[in-house]
Amino acid sequence: MDPDAVSKAFVEHYYTTFDSNRAGLVSLYQEGSMLTFEGQKIQGSQNIVAKLTSLPFQQCKHNITTVDCQPSGPAAGMLVFVSGNLQLAGEQHALKFSQMFHLVSNQGNYYVFNDIFRLNYA
Amino acid sequence: MAETNKGRSEEEVARAFVNHYYHLFDNDRSSLSTLYNPTSLLTFEGQKIYGVEDISNKLKQLPFDQCRHLISTVDSQPSSMAGGCGGILVFVSGSIQLHGEDRPLRFSQTFHLVPLLQGSFFVQNEMFRLNYG
Repeated sequence: MDPDAVSKAFVEHYYTTFDSNRAGLVSLYQEGSMLTFEGQKIQGSQNIVAKLTSLPFQQCKHNITTVDCQPSGPAAGMLVFVSGNLQLAGEQHALKFSQMFHLVSNQGNYYVFNDIFRLNYA
Repeated sequence: MAETNKGRSEEEVARAFVNHYYHLFDNDRSSLSTLYNPTSLLTFEGQKIYGVEDISNKLKQLPFDQCRHLISTVDSQPSSMAGGCGGILVFVSGSIQLHGEDRPLRFSQTFHLVPLLQGSFFVQNEMFRLNYG
């Protein structure tokens, strides 16, 4: 399958899950996965999802502006670089963010091995 | 060649690389070619460029002579498990001030540094996006 198509499908799945069923993100990470969220380092799917589900907002919607992807090397990994904005329920202005994923294939299914998230302040 | 490992943590390698990369970019842009090799990939504002020669040319031909990068954040993670290839992912945000322009442009940039046998790193993957708005 075309890497651009795979990365777009992944991005859509990731943010839809985030926005509608945040705990469901646990299936997208594994034991060795790493998240750096606004500079805070977290490892392992349980800890990562604990962090994401404890973020201080209930409802949110990600609107994706750009998705870039590249193969990461000989092991069929993919780097995905996303920018967009995050609208929190009740907030007037959306927050801009950039995020980088390194997707690694486990028997044909991709999971997130690396995840780095940063808000883009004005 | 880019930075060597010499027993440094991945964070230290990332920091040293970022300092080196933007120093070259702002002062000696043609020397950025030392950081790439024929398998390198750059996506610059959505445009895909392959290999050290084309990447070098793209960066040299950007429509400004003088610029200065100001780095706000640097995050890094190893790109494989322990015992794997030893690659490092680096995620940078900051702004770039172009000479003569009123306001700096904000940007985010991702690098995937891969080690060479002799202990130095090269840029295997790079993606750059301006952050508008």
